Amino acid sequence: MIEVQSLNKSFVNRSKTKSKDKDTREEGKWFHALRDVSFSVPTGSILGLLGPNGAGKTTFMRVLSTALKPTSGTIQVDGVDIAKDPLSVRRRIGFLSGNTGLYGRLTPREMIRYYGTLHGLDKAQLNQTMTLLFDRLEINAFADKRNDHLSAGMKQKVNIARTLIHNPEVIIFDEPTTGLDVKAAEQILRLVEELKTEGRTILFSTHHMHEVERLTDQIVLLNMGTVHFNGNLAQMREKGGDVLLDKAFLNLIGEGERHVA
Amino acid sequence: MLLNISTIFVKEMRELLKDRRTLVLMIVLPTVVLPLLMFLIISMTKKATEKSATEKVTYVLVGEQNCPDLALAFSQNESFEKVDAQPTENLADLVTNDICKLVVSIPEGAQSDLETGKDTKVVLYFNNASATSRVERRAENVISEFSESIRDGRLIALGFDTSTQRQQLLEPVKAESRSTADLREILGERIGGMLPYFFIIFCFLGSLYPAIDLGAGEKERGTLETLLLTPVPRLHVVLGKFFVVFSTGLISSLMTVASLGVSIMYFGKEAEGVAKQILSSVQTIDLVMILVMLIPIAALFASILLSISIYGKSFKEAQSLATPLNFLCIIPAVLAMVPGVQLDWVWALVPITNVALAIKELAKGTIDYSMLWVILGSSTLIASGFLFFCTQWFQRESVLFRE
Repeated sequence: MIEVQSLNKSFVNRSKTKSKDKDTREEGKWFHALRDVSFSVPTGSILGLLGPNGAGKTTFMRVLSTALKPTSGTIQVDGVDIAKDPLSVRRRIGFLSGNTGLYGRLTPREMIRYYGTLHGLDKAQLNQTMTLLFDRLEINAFADKRNDHLSAGMKQKVNIARTLIHNPEVIIFDEPTTGLDVKAAEQILRLVEELKTEGRTILFSTHHMHEVERLTDQIVLLNMGTVHFNGNLAQMREKGGDVLLDKAFLNLIGEGERHVA
Repeated sequence: MLLNISTIFVKEMRELLKDRRTLVLMIVLPTVVLPLLMFLIISMTKKATEKSATEKVTYVLVGEQNCPDLALAFSQNESFEKVDAQPTENLADLVTNDICKLVVSIPEGAQSDLETGKDTKVVLYFNNASATSRVERRAENVISEFSESIRDGRLIALGFDTSTQRQQLLEPVKAESRSTADLREILGERIGGMLPYFFIIFCFLGSLYPAIDLGAGEKERGTLETLLLTPVPRLHVVLGKFFVVFSTGLISSLMTVASLGVSIMYFGKEAEGVAKQILSSVQTIDLVMILVMLIPIAALFASILLSISIYGKSFKEAQSLATPLNFLCIIPAVLAMVPGVQLDWVWALVPITNVALAIKELAKGTIDYSMLWVILGSSTLIASGFLFFCTQWFQRESVLFRE
């Protein structure tokens, strides 16, 4: 369960934009990247986090994953406040991004062992989990090759193993299929479905509407740092005024822009 | 805490040791450069000195008829070889055009002036730019011997028959110099200032690449964020990384000092004369003390470089920000070579320069060991300050997620 309440995140504004091009989120020396964001994600469901580039998705995921601290408001992961006990939250969360790199000079085995140890797994637990994950993700064939010699698909599998090594209850996927071919992308989507059936809570950010249609139970649309829509697929189509999700999304963004203006 | 730090340390070291650039900068360069430099200096100096000592000095004599006795003195000296060449308007041209190494110009009437008790002036043209050139000294020796024979003849004519009488007349007061500085101290003062530069620069170079790789490199590869999402406090992350950079700097220093030690052992046997005397006077304890001095320097470099690296958005940016820090090595080393800058209680508090001065004193064999504690203390304090800054810097979102 993820519970977001009145979340705000502001940064010191370092951009030198001219007043006519000014983003409405800029206010004096501050840039309000997230403003009054509230929603919840029930345990065992998939939430699709949508929004155009610069909407605040990455900032939100960084706050949720405890990389950034909220300026105000709270996020609770299974009842644990991310600001009060970030280490405990990190034990519960897995994070996979499409552009997360690997340690090129290490092998998948060395790298996963490293993350497992940092997550506090003992040797026996680590060996057992690694065996299961490597079998499930078919990593064994290249487990001892250097990461920088692997294909994009293989690298993403290693990244998934890194994300799952500590058996997280909540998993954040940030555009996980970026740069992957159809086969590799399909494997990721199947994995997300499997993880859902295992009862994990998933936050899935993407720009591909077919992935949203296939996977998500609930959608949150962020625009200009605020929540512009929170509901299911049917509600999104209805509110967006189109059965095609792409068009509904664009209409909602338009509505969002009109709303901000 | 220790488990986290050691896990990060082991992983980072394992990764770094698989990288050729790190190995070259951390191990190969420091191991090879000093012995190679020492070998080149010793063998080339030896060769040049031998050549200069045995090589005949070619000379052109202008105005030979003006003083046949002096001409004879040159022709009888086996280290000179006469060259027949037409005197040019500017006699120095004979030397600059490589026709001869020395031109001896004897003025008109020189012989008759000497015979009538007057003096004369012989002009010598040569090029003494080379440190190993002995042309000037050899020519002056010939003229000096010739001059002394004439002087002795005149003194004998005045009734000073014995050489003792002549000595007492010419040099009634003699000075006998007894310097307290031994050869090691004298040469240590002159060339000992260069040593710290090598130690400090290799310590810096050994830390530079790992620091950039562990900070900005991780950011660029997108692995830093995943590391920050592990249940490891950021203090542990930064300390793990700090110890890696600190160790690589220290390993570079160790390699430099060890290669110096091996070179001293090897060249100490091979070298002759002065070089042998100096090399054999350097003790193992001196080398150990040099290494101890470099420990806080390695910590200082590691903290500063890691702070810069973590600020950089990319490997390239961090590299361009860190490279000017080369001056951190050059300026203190140059300061240690400036005449008048000596290790005292004030300089002992100036970071890096204090270590450079201490290494110079160790090379000279004149170190005040109580001063070493002050240097170690002040350097450790400053390095700790920078490390504290680095740990605080590493907590800042604006640094870690700078865009």
